[in-house]
Amino acid sequence: MEYVYSILILVGIYVVLASSFNLIIGTAGLVSIAHPIFFALGAYTSGLLAIHFGLNPIAGTLAGAAVAGVFSLMISLPSLRVSGDYLLITSIGFQLGLLQVIKNLELTGSQGGLSNIPTPIAGPERGWIFSLVALAAGAATVLLIRWIVRGPYGRAISAMRDDELAFVALGRDATRIKIVIFAVGSALAGIAGGIYAFYFQYLSPEQFEILASGTMLTMVVVGGMGSTWGPVVGAVLLLALPQAITFLRLPLSYMAPLQGMIFTLLVILFLFLRPQGLVAPEAPAPLRHKKQ
Amino acid sequence: MSFKRRDVLKAAAAGALAAGLPLPLRAQGAGNLRFGLAMPLTGSQSAYGKDQVTGAQWAVEDINAKGGVQGRKLEMIVLDTQADPQVGINAVNRLISVEKVPVFITAWSAVVKAVAPIANREKVLELSVGASSPDVATLGDYVYTTFPLADVDVTAVARYAYQKLGKKTAAVLYINNDTGVDAAKVYREAFEKAGGKVTVYEAYDPKATDYSGMLLKLRASNAEMVHIHGLITDIPQVIAQMRQLGLKQRVSTYSAGYNPIIVKQLGAAAEGLIVTSLAPGANDRPQVKAYIERWRSKEGRVPNGLPYTQYLYDAPVMVAQMYDWLLKQKLAVNGENMRKALLGVKRFELPMTGVTEVDATHRVKKPVYLLTVEKGNFVPLATVS
Repeated sequence: MEYVYSILILVGIYVVLASSFNLIIGTAGLVSIAHPIFFALGAYTSGLLAIHFGLNPIAGTLAGAAVAGVFSLMISLPSLRVSGDYLLITSIGFQLGLLQVIKNLELTGSQGGLSNIPTPIAGPERGWIFSLVALAAGAATVLLIRWIVRGPYGRAISAMRDDELAFVALGRDATRIKIVIFAVGSALAGIAGGIYAFYFQYLSPEQFEILASGTMLTMVVVGGMGSTWGPVVGAVLLLALPQAITFLRLPLSYMAPLQGMIFTLLVILFLFLRPQGLVAPEAPAPLRHKKQ
Repeated sequence: MSFKRRDVLKAAAAGALAAGLPLPLRAQGAGNLRFGLAMPLTGSQSAYGKDQVTGAQWAVEDINAKGGVQGRKLEMIVLDTQADPQVGINAVNRLISVEKVPVFITAWSAVVKAVAPIANREKVLELSVGASSPDVATLGDYVYTTFPLADVDVTAVARYAYQKLGKKTAAVLYINNDTGVDAAKVYREAFEKAGGKVTVYEAYDPKATDYSGMLLKLRASNAEMVHIHGLITDIPQVIAQMRQLGLKQRVSTYSAGYNPIIVKQLGAAAEGLIVTSLAPGANDRPQVKAYIERWRSKEGRVPNGLPYTQYLYDAPVMVAQMYDWLLKQKLAVNGENMRKALLGVKRFELPMTGVTEVDATHRVKKPVYLLTVEKGNFVPLATVS
């Protein structure tokens, strides 16, 4: 059942991506859409290390995460000076610029994409081992982010998001929080990239374009921005639905436009009917005051 | 009448439920001989993808109308790739593990490459019909092309420019993607090997709309021949801007340029343009003439990218011949035996594109048809074999 496995693996990967993206854009309110480029950095780093140095997949994926984390400085440092719309524009520039580099380097296979990435596991077990790894990574990401957001650090993050000036006035360090959030979110995307590269064995720069940003953003928005489980629901829904439609066996003339319309329809419906997404963010737990 | 929010939600929920639940699968004959077809049905390439699928569907209809393969019907399962590697991977995984096809047909370089590891791993035959990048030949044991790779027609057009047109210098302008980069190298090598000199070798961005920088270099170099290797969306723009700048050199391109759109968009500026076709035209083969008539009567137009649709018509015919070989040899229907069948039949007699010979180097040899634009029409120029 390679087909089911590959869908499960994609679900795992996209849960990691949507959740970590939600940490940046939802929880911390840092409006960057450059998330796919960190996914790309992780994927290309682990793929290239495996091709040229035969590095094992675990070390390769961690290296990918590290590279993505370090490159996140290129977006978190500008975010210290600009925010809102300006950060959005900066992030688009960063994503497209880096993609241009990938598209033009011979090393990364330029436009043709990076092929011949070795697979660490062969044989019939490959599918379920990868599914397990991807789903475990998805679950670990959700739990890690839940832990961050629910703890005192999470409270600091949302305080910064809601009123940065007041937050700084209270003597907290917004600079450090932004850098840490971007680094953690991007490194998680890098891990997703590593798993992707080793399972699918082929990377094309096209799949990390603005369209990919749109997909991840839709997952977060439909699922529920700022909530822990929202991106999970969004990722599962948006991956499963197009696959489910193909099983309807409709005539081609209906199938094709239906596939294209479903995403647009979902986004419009959600904007009107449930702007908070399927899973609304939890209201912060009331601060407990010690009784004197 | 007013809609209540609750009603809308109910309708949306019902719709989502209906989309999520697979309807009972369409009844399928047990003895059908199945194969997959993964093509872009949506997205920017769908205008071409859909017409190619139509060609393949007609071929399956025609084969089954004549009694199928040894009395068994051929069954084609079509899935959308959007010409996107990730969507293509899902489609092919689905074809292999759910539909259990031993062979599938696909196109567009990025998809052909992305699904190659799956074909090799699962030992299912992948037939690439349309991707022209030369490295398609090196993707693995289970990946074969039925379409001549870019080196065939680009080499022919480069040699023709030097030997027959007597052009000593050439400029190569190419789109900076998979299609352009490799083909531009092939042109330069072939033209220089023939004895000419490439004086301008410039790439342009796939999203560019202004080409003047590159064209000014061309003007400074004064090359005698210009070869443009791009996509149907940008080739007319490059030529139009060339002519606006007063550059009068003869232009050649490849099979993508063999499209009525180019003449429609360029008008008089298209005169003299040399294009290639890897498939015979209506004057070369009566079957092709009938095929074009069929398009006119059924769809009221000629297909987008006619030669590609000819190859797609022929692909199911190849699959039918491979199944025929398999059944005669009494071999089990699986990917490994399908590959044996491909190499066993070796020489395929095909209605729309003539003889196709598959060899161990994963390439096919076909004659190249050169055409040129004369008074707004494509007319045959030469056939290079």
